[in-house]
Amino acid sequence: MLEIKPIINTLMRSKAGALLLILQIAITLAIVSNALSIVSNRLDKLTEDTGYDEQGIIAFTVLTYNRNIDRAKQFKEDMLKLKEIDGVIEAMTVSSIPLSSSGGSWTISNHPDELQGKRADSGYIQANHRMVSAFGLTVSEGRDFEAQDETDGSDGQFPSVAIVSRAVANKLFGEGKGLNEFVYSGDNMMKIVGIVETMKSQWPDSKMGDNVVLIPIERSSMYQRVIVKTQPSKRAQIIKMIEPTLLENERQRVIIGVKGLDTAKQQTYQRDTLMIRMLVALIVFLAIITALGIFGLTHFNISKRTKQIGTRRALGARKSAIFRYFLVENTVVTLFGVAVGSVAAMFMGGQLMALYSIPALDGSIVLYTALVIVVMSLLSVYQPAKRAANISPSIATRSI
Amino acid sequence: MLIHYLDLAWRNIKLTPLISCLMVIAIGIGIGVTMTSLSVYHMMSADPIPQKSAQLHAVQLQTMDDGQTWNTPDDIPSQLTYQDAKYLMENSPQTQSVAMMKSGAAVHLDNPESIPFIQDVRITGRAFFNMFGLSFLHGEAWSETQSEQAAPVVVIGEALAQRLFQRTDVLGESIYLDERQYEVIGVTKAWQPAIKFYDVNNGPFQRAEQVFIPFSHIEAYELHSWGNTNSWKNEDISGYAQFLHSEMVWLQFWTQINSENELKNYQQFLMDYMIQQQKLGRFNRKQLAYNVKPVNDWLKYNQVIDPDNKILVGLSFMFLAVCLANILGMLLAKFLKRAPDAGVRRALGASKRQIFFQHLVEVALLGLLGSVVGILLAQIGLIGIRETMSIYVGIAKMDWTMLLLSPVIAILACLLAGLFPAWVVCKTSPATHLKVQ
Repeated sequence: MLEIKPIINTLMRSKAGALLLILQIAITLAIVSNALSIVSNRLDKLTEDTGYDEQGIIAFTVLTYNRNIDRAKQFKEDMLKLKEIDGVIEAMTVSSIPLSSSGGSWTISNHPDELQGKRADSGYIQANHRMVSAFGLTVSEGRDFEAQDETDGSDGQFPSVAIVSRAVANKLFGEGKGLNEFVYSGDNMMKIVGIVETMKSQWPDSKMGDNVVLIPIERSSMYQRVIVKTQPSKRAQIIKMIEPTLLENERQRVIIGVKGLDTAKQQTYQRDTLMIRMLVALIVFLAIITALGIFGLTHFNISKRTKQIGTRRALGARKSAIFRYFLVENTVVTLFGVAVGSVAAMFMGGQLMALYSIPALDGSIVLYTALVIVVMSLLSVYQPAKRAANISPSIATRSI
Repeated sequence: MLIHYLDLAWRNIKLTPLISCLMVIAIGIGIGVTMTSLSVYHMMSADPIPQKSAQLHAVQLQTMDDGQTWNTPDDIPSQLTYQDAKYLMENSPQTQSVAMMKSGAAVHLDNPESIPFIQDVRITGRAFFNMFGLSFLHGEAWSETQSEQAAPVVVIGEALAQRLFQRTDVLGESIYLDERQYEVIGVTKAWQPAIKFYDVNNGPFQRAEQVFIPFSHIEAYELHSWGNTNSWKNEDISGYAQFLHSEMVWLQFWTQINSENELKNYQQFLMDYMIQQQKLGRFNRKQLAYNVKPVNDWLKYNQVIDPDNKILVGLSFMFLAVCLANILGMLLAKFLKRAPDAGVRRALGASKRQIFFQHLVEVALLGLLGSVVGILLAQIGLIGIRETMSIYVGIAKMDWTMLLLSPVIAILACLLAGLFPAWVVCKTSPATHLKVQ
């Protein structure tokens, strides 16, 4: 019924066209499925929940270059002034800005001698005791910081409590444990009073991406990071007011990089955004080129066989039989291409994983891409096949 | 003959405008995509300082105790401690050696209208300018004496001079770095290596600094690095003096080595220094280790080329292959349709060889046209890259090599695709075609 045998025979007699199609479909499948896999991985990374109120927070840096200024006092005044702005909920100095790929990190351990215990490399953020709500985080286990937890670091005082991300607690004390345990770093000992389920570090894309330790200590430095939590609807307005407001207070300093936390995050992920855009462009172009190629080759195959088609029609074949013939022929070739392509795609995925530590290619992506390619090739063969079916039988009798 | 073939090719292209256009577009897209990623790769992997890359060497010392690890392939820290950097700079057997680091400052003039702005500052030795090929527009580097006395002198780039004073001849003017007053003693010509090879700490594609001050200022003004400061040891550090004598690593070190002999001397010098330090309780390890790497090895060691870019280059060449398969199909169709012409030419005495070459010339012409489209597309792609990733400004561009390589790749690719169709056409016997006509 489907005339597979004669179709294969015909294909074997003029291999060039079919081989070209198979090659094209196979490479397309290999490229597109791997590119899609990379794109979806990067998108997951970009859209992953960081725990912070990205839309509401403004982050920036103040460089106080005049060393005679009493910075601690100055920043207290600044924060009060900022909080007077309509729409500002909280403003505070912090030791580093999350998601910004810059800041401090350390190794903490569940044992006073870190070489004997478990260790976790983590980013740390130091700020006053209201930082959890200022960041828009929620403590999922234990309690938030209280005023008496906080120190200002004078006389070498270091806080005796900390709030950690779930990942840190899990790493040091085991799945679901860690609350009220003690952690150590150098000579400092801190009790974990609270755990935040989701909280990304300053380097969300690194091995310590989920490892964060919050410490209630408020210090001021020459190069001081500041966050301002706002009502998201008023944030754009407030961003413009930060620099003038602060410089009005004290001129001998520079306000650097006032931006939303979401923008800071975007900049951290710039490389991934670039990769996504490049790959999407590649996929789109490839789809166009391959569709054109299938269309063109089918056209060519048909125009070469005009006389044969006329002959078949003259011998009694129906239009639908001719139409079906080309559809089936194309499907056979496409399936060949898809089969070769799937193997190539998986092989390529393996190579990418081995050479560039790209996450493994998921077989289902190959399957879906293959399906789309089959549908696409059926669509592009439709018109040429229709045209073939309409070839008049008289063609056959004319010039032979 | 070639001219005649070109003429024929052009006529043929005009005869079949639609399919020729499609082919040119297919090659164009293929070349456009390929050249976009290849240009970035080319700039990333290019030698940033070809005239000196073999002489300039980055120096690393294995300061860590046994068992400690680092994020480099051989676990040797990529930067030096202050005490080591200072010693090496002052005692290196070569005259041309510099320790350096990136810092930053609020730059302003001492008047109320001048709004301070942030600039990166390179703190380094006076040999820096000569070693790394900076040339002076006005003035010169600080002297040995000025360096020893930590004199408040600064060398700035011409663009910064323009920004501050609206002219470049600004010797003797004073500028402020933070609250410190400096006298401008030199203005350098614009200097921007494509890769910031001399300090890859905060990414290899950062812009070069435009403010240079003597190394002695670190100690004199208690300056901190704006690059990375890393430690591997729990040390009790209070105060700047202790920080300077700590095992923290935060300085880069470069030396110029001109011969095999000098290299041996230098290696011996490093070993001697480490053995001497071992007696003082440092370099607490069985096997002393160091690296002295020339520029290009240093860049490989630091894996400057983004793996994403390598993937894109691979994918775009595969993409080009798809475009070729496409063109091959179209060429087959086009040439076979015109096979009767070839039949007539054969009957009139043209050899198979001549027919073959005539068709290849036509294919090459298509490739050339395609490369024009491709170069235009690649420019659009590169603009897109620069827009997405601001720090790629210096490397997302097409230099002359890539511009000339585009038509070469396009034509070679098309010839490859054209071989089979041209062969099919030239082997058809003239008789069959003549009969039909």
